[in-house]
Amino acid sequence: MTELIQHLSLGFSVALTMQNLMYCFIGCFLGTLIGVLPGIGPVATIAMLLPITFNLPPTPALIMLAGIYYGASYGGSTTAILVNLPGESSSVVTCIDGYQMGRQGRAGPALAIAALGSFFAGTVGTLLIALFGPPLAELAFEFGAAEYFSMMVLGLVSAVVLAHGSLIKAVCMILVGLLLGIVGTDVNSGIARYSLGISELSDGIGFVSVAMGMFGFGEIISNLEQGEEREVNTSKVGSLMPTWTDLKMSFGPIVRGTALGTIFGILPGSHTVIASFSSYTLEKKLAKDPSRFGKGAIEGVAGPESANNAAAQTSFIPLLTLGIPTGAVMALMVGAMTIQGIAPGPQVMTQKPDLFWGMIASMWVGNLMLVILNLPLIGMWVQFLKIPYRVLFPGIILFCCIGAFSVNNSPAEVYLAGLFGVFGYFASKWGCEPGPLLLGFVLGPLMEENLRRAMLISRGDATVFFTRPISCGMLIVAIFLLIIIVLPQIRKKRAEVVYESAD
Amino acid sequence: MALKIRSMKDFSAGLMFIAIGGLFAMGASQYPMGTAVRMGPAYFPSILGWGTVALGFMVFVESFLVDDEKPTPVKWRPLLLVIASVMAFAAIVNTGGLITATVVLIITAALGGHEFKLKEAIISAVLMSITVWAIFDKALGLPFKLFPWS
Repeated sequence: MTELIQHLSLGFSVALTMQNLMYCFIGCFLGTLIGVLPGIGPVATIAMLLPITFNLPPTPALIMLAGIYYGASYGGSTTAILVNLPGESSSVVTCIDGYQMGRQGRAGPALAIAALGSFFAGTVGTLLIALFGPPLAELAFEFGAAEYFSMMVLGLVSAVVLAHGSLIKAVCMILVGLLLGIVGTDVNSGIARYSLGISELSDGIGFVSVAMGMFGFGEIISNLEQGEEREVNTSKVGSLMPTWTDLKMSFGPIVRGTALGTIFGILPGSHTVIASFSSYTLEKKLAKDPSRFGKGAIEGVAGPESANNAAAQTSFIPLLTLGIPTGAVMALMVGAMTIQGIAPGPQVMTQKPDLFWGMIASMWVGNLMLVILNLPLIGMWVQFLKIPYRVLFPGIILFCCIGAFSVNNSPAEVYLAGLFGVFGYFASKWGCEPGPLLLGFVLGPLMEENLRRAMLISRGDATVFFTRPISCGMLIVAIFLLIIIVLPQIRKKRAEVVYESAD
Repeated sequence: MALKIRSMKDFSAGLMFIAIGGLFAMGASQYPMGTAVRMGPAYFPSILGWGTVALGFMVFVESFLVDDEKPTPVKWRPLLLVIASVMAFAAIVNTGGLITATVVLIITAALGGHEFKLKEAIISAVLMSITVWAIFDKALGLPFKLFPWS
């Protein structure tokens, strides 16, 4: 217990410096600003704002990135409530009842409850990280190359299994991501792979290009394909104060949502989406009058929003303790840490405690900032939402391009981003999700390195992955997950094929 | 027997993955394979590449067996103009300067939107140029060349 207090005080002493507070605020602000824009989710937001952090020292950079992440989630809920457009996939659920509340003139309380619920979830999440972080990191020190490889396999498999859409196409996207990550100079042999004689490629493909191209440009082009009819609830925001009844009705959902979110957050995959959907289903089942759901039931906002923030918070745990990213957002964080010269893993906690605990403390500070500062700024976000998309999107493209350019002061990254934009556009059109590709891209070189090392140590014995207990355990879980997902699909598809041929 | 494509999405995706996987796998053949103990640079990419080809082929075959909704039709204008604006920026920024690249990007991209209003685009380009100058040149002091004559 005293250790926990010691760690947290170290963390807060770092987080509460004027400089870090300012960076936290800038992150929250920019994150909310971009997150509010419809069609731009947290991944795209972080990808776009990432280059800003490159010039900062590591601790403020990561603090700002965390702020951007929460800001983007918060912005996403704001858009969901006011415009019925989910700013990100987990806000889809908030749209259902949140938007209805908005139409009834109760957008204010909806926004307030969303913020308060998220804050509660964030606090719980921070405490959990602080409590379980150190023991998990200690466990990770037992890991050898084989364990790391198997863990990455498990991470990739779970990320795919829990995502929506075609499983096999998602696996293909992971493989392509791994391949793209390999482009560049091979550390072992010094040979430049797939560089096509272009010197910029011999250092590898910048992940900013991939992220901005697939998530930024790809999404913008897809957005432009759809129509531009949006009914905005902006004139009816009114007072932000929730009533006593609101608060009482939200308490249960907030606590339950936080619990659900915490569990889902630690598992690899699209934790925030599943967390918010499960919370909505749970609350609807538990409600005395389920028919209110879909027409503006505040539990339909309180539960999912808390679940989604709890999941967002706890999803940092595998990253900060084991060094493994469990989703596209965490993949970006890994990229950012690598660029800052920090190798993510359990050693971060021991070698750079002020960075580690400072970041955790500032996650909580960021949650607090979002409640205190952003709620009064609602008016500003509302004005922002009134700007027609056709005026906004060129500006977004511009900032993406400048961001990509500033990585190496070279147009090569911009060209690459453009190419990935085309790729991302067609890939999603054909039902292939970009998230798994980004995850594979970040893990590619790491997986290869660990595979090589494991094989070297075991002298070519490939069964080493199964003879070492932890590694074996993880691979078994991975295979198990694949089986339980593939089986129903095979049965379903066999049924479809049989049905078709019976015509 | 005429094969009917039941899922255009899977058909296209399958071909795409076969192509990408194949390119990487064949590209790997120019590097040494090494052994399982000392993996050469071609080892991992070959496995991944051929794996992608195999899975891509499965997706391709599936496209004849399982129905799926049609992909939304490609709208060429937003696609081409957004990408053109990005490429133009990349081409211009070092020679013509940041401001020139900004103006070209904003106007080209705006052409890709729903309704193009020339006055609106020009005002937007000017405002964006001022914002860009203020943030990147004045506030952050980054070494960007601003104009062709800078």
